[in-house]
Order: sequence, then structure tokens, then C-alpha cells
Amino acid sequence: MERNYSTIEGTSRGYTVLVALLGGMVGVFIVSFLVAYLKGQQVWGVSNIIPWGQLITFYIFFIGLSAGAIIISSLSYVFKREIYEPIGRMAVFMGILLMVGAMSFVMVDLGRPEKAWRLFMYFYLNNMTSLFAINSIFYTGYITLMMIYLWLIFEGKKRLAAIVGTVDVLWAIAVHMGTGAIFGLIGNREIFFSPIKPFEFLTAALTSGTSLIILTAVVTFKLTRRVIQDELIFSLGRLLTGIILVLLVMVFFDKLTHLYFPNREATVYLLTGDYWWIFWIFQIGMGIVLPLILLIHPKTKKTLRGVVCAAASVVIGVFGERAALVIPGTAHPQPFFPGKIEGPWGEPGIFPITPWETLLSLSIVSFVALLFVLGLRYLEILPARTGEPLPAGTGPTTQPGSS
Amino acid sequence: MAKWGMVIDLDKCVGCQACVVSCKEENNVPHGSPEEQRSRREIYWHKMIAATKGKYPYVRTELIPMPCMHCEHPPCVTVCPAKATFQRDDGIVVQYYRRCIGCKYCMVACPYGARSFNYKAQEPKAYQRQDEPPDRNSWAPWPFPVRTQGVVEKCTFCFHRIDQGLKEGKKIGTEVVPACVEACPSHARTFGDLDDPQSPVAQLLASRASFRLREELATRPKVIYLSR
Repeated sequence: MERNYSTIEGTSRGYTVLVALLGGMVGVFIVSFLVAYLKGQQVWGVSNIIPWGQLITFYIFFIGLSAGAIIISSLSYVFKREIYEPIGRMAVFMGILLMVGAMSFVMVDLGRPEKAWRLFMYFYLNNMTSLFAINSIFYTGYITLMMIYLWLIFEGKKRLAAIVGTVDVLWAIAVHMGTGAIFGLIGNREIFFSPIKPFEFLTAALTSGTSLIILTAVVTFKLTRRVIQDELIFSLGRLLTGIILVLLVMVFFDKLTHLYFPNREATVYLLTGDYWWIFWIFQIGMGIVLPLILLIHPKTKKTLRGVVCAAASVVIGVFGERAALVIPGTAHPQPFFPGKIEGPWGEPGIFPITPWETLLSLSIVSFVALLFVLGLRYLEILPARTGEPLPAGTGPTTQPGSS
Repeated sequence: MAKWGMVIDLDKCVGCQACVVSCKEENNVPHGSPEEQRSRREIYWHKMIAATKGKYPYVRTELIPMPCMHCEHPPCVTVCPAKATFQRDDGIVVQYYRRCIGCKYCMVACPYGARSFNYKAQEPKAYQRQDEPPDRNSWAPWPFPVRTQGVVEKCTFCFHRIDQGLKEGKKIGTEVVPACVEACPSHARTFGDLDDPQSPVAQLLASRASFRLREELATRPKVIYLSR
């Protein structure tokens, strides 16, 4: 059966208010970026001990969401599972937007963003042994591929879309494993250094991407008064259960490898130090335990509410997983010399949450949300409402917006 | 080509931190405010750590002066995406501020915490070397052309002294040394060519047991310590 897609009306009051709010946040984005650019990164929480803060956390989180979204989209366009078709276009579109968000995060985190062009002077002005340089190839190729993929889907060229989609999924895997390698290959930071890190990143990307798609699909379809098949969400929930279990195994062995041998100081710091709550409450509690309970419990796994709650919990939990890597990973003082290092050089770093950094992060998130909401208005992302005559945009009632 | 290295005799070191101060003086490194020190944003090219072993009656504290180690296999050079940090032919690892994009990957990858980030623009009078001739002021990698915020900086083994000394035909290691070596009151530091068996550093290394920091990472630092 050929499925019809339509834009949303976008004339309702709720939609206008939402666009205005998110548009206002773009203003906040510009202001908070300029403040950090002109006053220096002293307005953020980063320091010489914790050089990477909130923005890098969001950056790897968004890349994970993007890779996860693209891999989920392949269920409908590559593996031809008909049930996933209503969310296929949305998944690809989200993949592009989240990647745009991730790139915004990493660009504003640079001390001199105006010199970022140097990254793209391959083999000539950049250093190809750096994972940032290698990843810049992955990222640019990834965005291009996603654009082609979405265009082919819009054009209805299913065979070509399946081919490009296959390449794009493999590319997304490379993108996110490359992002994991940024951390996994750094041999002097015990919490980072792990050969399993790229795979852990990929699995976390799949869990968070699937969850975000469940969340967005349910919210968008409800707000635009479209019917979503419960079975679609439940099957994504079952998929999510499997991936979370894989993630649990990976996290367990990653930490066990670091804890088993006596040079376990940094990992003990991660599990019991100042930032224990990021690991235990967010990464393990909200990212793994709570969603597993909700998804396995026979009562909640059969309700939309239960699956959506699990998905929301995973999204927050995986954000915690990223934070538990970036911040305690560098906060733990390096063992320059055997013995206890006295004074400031031996103290674990503290990462304060500062207003400008938080505003910048939130405004980039809103920027991505704004692009998504505008995309729904101008692109045929969502399936047409059943019973509604074509062409789209002639629907009888006004439709409220979506987020 | 020479391979410059430094030998620090911990037996002679009295822990006065003259090296830390002289480094700030020579390279015009900003003195951070107390607030910046608390938030760990002060720039240090050379730091001194104190490592304690044992409990009260039998405490033993080692004072370790730590400049940049100028590793033979520097991880910072491997991870820098912009070729902003690189190794010169004589083995000195330098930071080219004009290329640095400020991604801070090198700070994450440095096993010795030798790198600092410029979290703010410095006062023009105090920390931008107005005394330098204008051409160097705008183009040369050292000293700061104009000290800008948003780039990473680090110890240079005072290569401006070495280069100048070589140009004038002076003997490096005896007549010309880095500022921290010059300032050391107890002559705990020696600078010279590690490849030349006749140099004072090579002879010192041959005479005593020596170690490097975090040898298990195989970065092969060129700052070598003689144990107490």
C-alpha cells in the first residue's frame, strides 16, 4: 500500500506560540555564544583540570541520537518492515537535525571557532592522526549522505533509497564508533581508555536514538492528532529492551576490566567519588534499570504510557552516561608520581554548572527543536491523517503544533 | 641535530619553586587571581607537585618540578587536529598559537598536565609582549604574538634562548640555558644535548640512577629525574 505523507497546517495558536518560544531561544543562543566568545571560556564551568564540559557532553549525546535515529530508519527503508513506515521519514529528518545540533555544539566549544576550517584541509593543514580530523571526514560525509537519503525518500525512489540507506547506516555506525574512539584511545585517562568504548558508544546511541524516536513519535502524533499504531511503539519497545541488555553487558565489562586489576583508582573515583550520582542514578538507574523494569514488567510493557516513560528515562539516562564519561573522566587527577599528590594538583576537579554554558546548551537544543517544528510545517514528514483527503494542507480543522 | 633534554636532580632540589617563578617571569605567563587559582584556570608552564608517602612519623614528601616533558612520542602532537602542536627537529614540542583552534584535545591527552588554556583575554599592558619587535609581535609563534584567549599554551624549553644562542655561536647547556635552569639556586637542573655523550646531561645520566614520569605510557619524556 502506498502511504501518503503531509505537512501540518501550522496555523493553530499552540504552533505559533511554540515557534515563537523556540525562535526566542535562538536569540539566547546568539547572545550566550557571543558572551563566551568575547569574554572567553571563563564564563563556563570548564577549567584546566576538566577541559571538556557540558557542550562536549551534548555533542556526543546528539551524535548518538542521530546515529540511532538513522539506524532505526533503516528498519523501514532497508529492511522493508512495513510497520515502521509511518516514522521512517521522521527518523531520517531527525538524524539530520540532531547532527546539525551536534556540529553546533562542537563548534561553539572551540576556543577559536573561526579557525575551524583548518580541520577540513585534509592532509595539508590538518593532522590526520587526530581523531577529530578523521571524524570530520565521517561527519561531513554523514550529513551529505543523510541529505541524499531524505531526498530520495521524498522523491519516492525506494530502490535507490534502500541502497543509500544501507551505506548511510554503515556510515552512521562508523561515525559513532569514531566518536567513541575520541575517548577510547586516550591512554592516559583510565576512565576513557577502553577498546570497548566505540562499541559501548554505538549501543548507547541505539538505545537513546530508539527512545527519542518513540518519544518524538508519540508526542508529535498525539499533538497533530494522528493515529499511531500501538504495535509500532511496542515493537520498538521490545527492540529497546534487547539493546539495553547489550548496553548493560558492555558497561559491566568495561567497568569490570578497570576494577579487576589494582590500578583501579580512577574507576573507584567514578563509582564512589564526587560524581557517583551521575553514574549510579543517571547512567545505571535511569539509563538501564528503570527502563528495563518498565519494559519487562508484564503490565507496563503493554501500555503506551509505560513504554514512553521507559523511553524518556533512557534518553535522560544516556545523557547521564555521556556526562559520566566526560566529566569524571578528566576530573580525576592524573598520577604524575607515585604517592598522594598534595595540594591543588592532586585534588579532583569540580565542574560547576554555570548559567552561560547551560543557556548555550539549552538554546542549541531549542534550535534543533525549532528546525524540527518548522520541518513538519514545510516538509511532508508525517503520514497523512487517515480519512483525510489529499492533497495535504486542505485539512478541515486547525492543528496544534508539536515539539 | 641536537636532542635537547633536561636532567633534574631531586637530591639537590630544595623545593624553593624559583623555577616556577622564573618561568612565569621569562615567558610573561599571567599570574592568575586567587579566584582563578581556585577554579583551576591559572596558566602554568611549569608547576611543582608534592607527593607524599607514608603516615605521620614516617612521612616522606617528594617535590617534583614539572615543566613540559617534551616527550619523544608526544600524545598531544598525535591528537592535535590542526597541526598546532608539533615537534621541532631538535625534539622540542611547541605550540603554534596561530593555528590552535582551541579544541583542548591535547589537554585531555597530555599525561603530565603540562598544558593550560587561555580562559580570558589578558590585560594588554601586562601580558602582551609589547617589548618585542613588531614583526615578531604579529607573526612568530613565540612569544605570544598577541596573547589571545581560546588557545592552549605550554612550556617551550625557552627555545627563544636556544635559537638565539645557536645564532650567536654560544654553547647551549653552559652559556645558554632555559630560565628555570638559570634560576635554580642549588644547581639541581642541567640542560643539554641528550645525544652527545660529552654533554653534562649525558654524563649526569651515566653517573646515577634516573627515572622519568609515567614511564609505563612509553611517551619517553626528555625531562629526566635523578632520584633522591
